[in-house]
Amino acid sequence: MKKSLKIALIVIGIMVFGGAVVGFYLYNLKPKDLGKAKPDFVLTSIELLKFFEENEAAAGARYINKILEVSGEISSVERGENNSMNIVLKTNSSSSSIICTFPSLSDPEKYKERSQITIRGECSGYLMDVLLNNCVVAEGPK
Amino acid sequence: MFLFLGLFFTVNAQKYMTKNGYIGFFSHTPAEDIKADNNQVASVIDASSGEIVFQVLIKSFHFPKTLMEEHFNENYMESDKFPKASFKGKITNLASVDFKKNGTNEVIVEGDLTIRDATKRMTAKGTIEIVTGGLNANTKFIISPEDFNIKIPSVVRENIAKAIEVTVSMKYAPI
Repeated sequence: MKKSLKIALIVIGIMVFGGAVVGFYLYNLKPKDLGKAKPDFVLTSIELLKFFEENEAAAGARYINKILEVSGEISSVERGENNSMNIVLKTNSSSSSIICTFPSLSDPEKYKERSQITIRGECSGYLMDVLLNNCVVAEGPK
Repeated sequence: MFLFLGLFFTVNAQKYMTKNGYIGFFSHTPAEDIKADNNQVASVIDASSGEIVFQVLIKSFHFPKTLMEEHFNENYMESDKFPKASFKGKITNLASVDFKKNGTNEVIVEGDLTIRDATKRMTAKGTIEIVTGGLNANTKFIISPEDFNIKIPSVVRENIAKAIEVTVSMKYAPI
């Protein structure tokens, strides 16, 4: 076998192997841990709902898929399926709130109604409420 | 949204509501299993008319693997273009449900499921359990991606089931 052909085969082999490794890595990538993530926006639950109520399209373009750090008062804590928990934050509206879904949450009893909390999560958009996903507690409750 | 608010604000009838409901789906093929959870489902049941409405944001479905979630949002559901899915239907055997008595009732729900602006008439069997302080509703049904104009490239067609099982689990409170 010619030397150049041999080198070419080795290079191709390395590329295929490298591609497979990268592919496998990407395939198994888990949702990112927001515990260490830097927020794109820091705001209160009242401000966040107001943006969506005033102009859903503009607020969507600004916040959807972004990491938000939202502070507010807990109005309720609900248990979801598959270990998930929802913490609902109060706003100025009686019918709309910020719903924050945690994939898991340790010591859920610790999150009492009317206490203050800061939550970091990814904004999914606006239904009747503003929805945050993949949430972690950034600060509180206090 | 408006149909939802319409149901929400009609007066003098017993209605139940949740905004923390669960819808999940599961696709099994020999190549891989795909599952996703959404714990932010909004729904209203009107006990007097039997009307039932669900709304979800597509982006609130979460997958154990990031890449699956990306493909789901960008390639299949195009969630920037079609951010919401909804169902509007009726309990067809409402007379057999006693909302005043605690217990589990078998129900049949018939209505329109809208995903990606494509609407399909669906019928599903489920249960409504009357409990103190509210009611719980559960159902499972099968949908097919092809019914909602979801185009799946042939290279990955074998990875996604033709029959996808949808699980719905809701805890409603009176409003």
